[in-house]
Amino acid sequence: MGYTTESKRWVLLVNIRLTIAAALIALLAADAATAADYAPHTRELTVVSWGGAYTRSQIRGFVRRFEREHGINVEMIDYTGGIEEIRSQVRAWNVKWDVVDFELFDAVRACNEDLLVEIDPSSLPPAPDGTAAARDFLGGSLLPCAVGNVAWATVVAFDPEAVERAPKSLEDFFDIKRFPGHRGLRRTPKTNLEWALIADGVKPERVYSVLDTEKGVDRAFRVLDRIKPAIRWWAHGEEAVRLLETGQVTMTSAYNGRIDTANADGASYEILWDNHVRFRDAWGIPKNGENIEAALAFVRFASSTESLADQAKFINYGPLRRSSLEDLPEDLLARLPTSESNLPRGFDTNSAWWSEHIQELQVRFEHWIERPFQVPRDWPSR
Amino acid sequence: MKLSTFAIALVFLALPCQAQDGDSDIEALVQELEQVKGRLAELEQLRQRVRTLEARLEEANRTSASDDMERRDAALASTSSAPEPEPPAIDIGGALRFTTFANGSVKGQRGKSGLDLFRLSADGSIDNILLSAEYRFYPFMDTLHHGWLGYEFDNDSQLQVGITRVPFGILPYAAHNFWFGVPYYLGLSDDYDLGAKYVLPNGPWNIQLAFFKNSELSNSGDLGRYSYDVVSAGTARNEESNQFNARVAYTIGAGTTCSHELGVSGQWSELYNLDTERRGDMWAAATHLDTRCGRWNFQLEAARYDHNPVNPAGIGANRIELGAFESVYEIAPSGTVGIANVAYNFPLSGDILDQLTCYNDYSVLYKDGGGKDSILNTTGCAIGVGPLFIYADLINANNMVFFGNGSLADGGEDEWDTRLNLNVGYYW
Repeated sequence: MGYTTESKRWVLLVNIRLTIAAALIALLAADAATAADYAPHTRELTVVSWGGAYTRSQIRGFVRRFEREHGINVEMIDYTGGIEEIRSQVRAWNVKWDVVDFELFDAVRACNEDLLVEIDPSSLPPAPDGTAAARDFLGGSLLPCAVGNVAWATVVAFDPEAVERAPKSLEDFFDIKRFPGHRGLRRTPKTNLEWALIADGVKPERVYSVLDTEKGVDRAFRVLDRIKPAIRWWAHGEEAVRLLETGQVTMTSAYNGRIDTANADGASYEILWDNHVRFRDAWGIPKNGENIEAALAFVRFASSTESLADQAKFINYGPLRRSSLEDLPEDLLARLPTSESNLPRGFDTNSAWWSEHIQELQVRFEHWIERPFQVPRDWPSR
Repeated sequence: MKLSTFAIALVFLALPCQAQDGDSDIEALVQELEQVKGRLAELEQLRQRVRTLEARLEEANRTSASDDMERRDAALASTSSAPEPEPPAIDIGGALRFTTFANGSVKGQRGKSGLDLFRLSADGSIDNILLSAEYRFYPFMDTLHHGWLGYEFDNDSQLQVGITRVPFGILPYAAHNFWFGVPYYLGLSDDYDLGAKYVLPNGPWNIQLAFFKNSELSNSGDLGRYSYDVVSAGTARNEESNQFNARVAYTIGAGTTCSHELGVSGQWSELYNLDTERRGDMWAAATHLDTRCGRWNFQLEAARYDHNPVNPAGIGANRIELGAFESVYEIAPSGTVGIANVAYNFPLSGDILDQLTCYNDYSVLYKDGGGKDSILNTTGCAIGVGPLFIYADLINANNMVFFGNGSLADGGEDEWDTRLNLNVGYYW
């Protein structure tokens, strides 16, 4: 069967059309490639972090660069930890926090409660030498739905000019007879219960097994009772520094990086590394958000070797990628909680243990705070 | 950009096919091809233009983001921490209380229960301006408990003007129980008057200086008041006027779990007699120790007072009339007061109780002139359960006003009387 002139003409016309359509589709594909991996409407990303010097280190370390390279404005807001707000947003499908900087144990809880987007470790950028991220991150830093970023420590800090004699050990922090003055503590059972037991003679390696018992928890609260009237509570990391600045306390628990930053700004506080407690932070992305692709792009960017190394230049928190540590100067490495001299003087918080117990202990802890230790001075007027 | 290009592609693909008639239309097809090529070129130009516009838009966004970052950095540099949510400037509170008691001295009466009070209060500050006020509704009267405006200075000192607490003896209360102790019934504790008070905390020191023009109500004959004052509602019509107070306290071990407040207080005022229109006077002095050591609290106070009214002839000065709560009674014009209180705050681990403090408050008046002593001894507990606060008191009184025929003046009776008092309040 031969082609008629009409059919030839039709075939030719179709070929022309297909060629043009293919050209247009190619243009379309080129456009798609330049739009990265996030939705085209994403122009702003809300990232939740810990405020003060810590957030500043993130902005200077990589947030600004991310904004420049991705054309997305990052709105940084502060919080004080916990997963209640995230749980509420995710369950209501009203997610306003796109990316959250968790304490690792909170990330574990949020992950277990299916509140976070899964993050494939293979999607994270490799080290400059090509080492896969999964091998480059320190052990335990990658969760199915969270990516570790820095290690930091809660330490005792004091102003040497405000104390009659410098404390030498954690026990001194709990001894307000020999070391008079008010104490600053973060308003959370974490670290406080561990420290109370250690100050009462429990070895750091046995702390969590003692806390596993009701008697152990009672014992910790009894130790905290000793200094309760002298405690001034803080929530944000910067408040601990402010307590020292304003002379409201003679010693306080504090995040090590905040103290170093304050010293860089002209203060002269000292850190007592004895029994410091090391924590890890991790990026997580709440489910049901509108900007998940952009959030993933942010986490990948923030988790790169370069980003973590750059952040460490602005705050003394240890990057959780081995490759990020390689380029850091020696004097900076020495000030990190993970340095050779500091490491043996502290211990890692047990994130798994806290993820299981934080809820009940937080309730008891708040109850304990509200209950007066001494006979109250101000009762309801009669 | 994707959407714009995609739309152009769809428009193109939706163009109707325009077949030409006849074999000789090859030329026409070539022409059509040329037209399509021209349109494609136009589309490419359009695409380039969209890209240019988008590039300019992105540049504008980057500039804006950079400005935001600069502002944010500046904010971070200038403030060392995130701003805390502001608490409400003025806190509105209140209480609804009920009381029940059984009095051993009233034969045939099993006890009484009922509304104690309903009250509303406002406390707070706007900038350095302070405010505190409380209005009370009792079943038998309503009254302003206190109400003052203040100013807080840079050194944390305060000036309070209005109806404010008289700084005398152990503060804020010289007792733990609901019924207080003897000093309250002599007008020497938890007393409120109209005037100005300056409070200066300075490390372990606390200094309070005050001047009160008169008692809390301008009419000294009005008994609808909360705190006990010399009143002109009886036979001797005297009233308090131009009162000066000074109280100095020093705390040893402030901020530790064992602190001891030592203090001295002085008070002097005129007693103006409405009949003779002459001014007598009244003075009082006290020293106290308030120790809070661990869970224990020990309070000791010794006070002297002396009233010297100028009454009309025929009205002796051996009794002074005090009034409040729509009642009036007499007290010895001078005497010595003693207080010895002890309290213990129990550790709690359950979820129900927030506070359990048990106490024994002892107070006594030794009257000059040989009158029988008046004694109050109260054993009880204060219990906090959420917004509820409960006082459960067993009161033993000897020759005490409101207990049988007891009196704070000379006379009375040497009899012990017992009252079981339960006060349950909901506070918000």
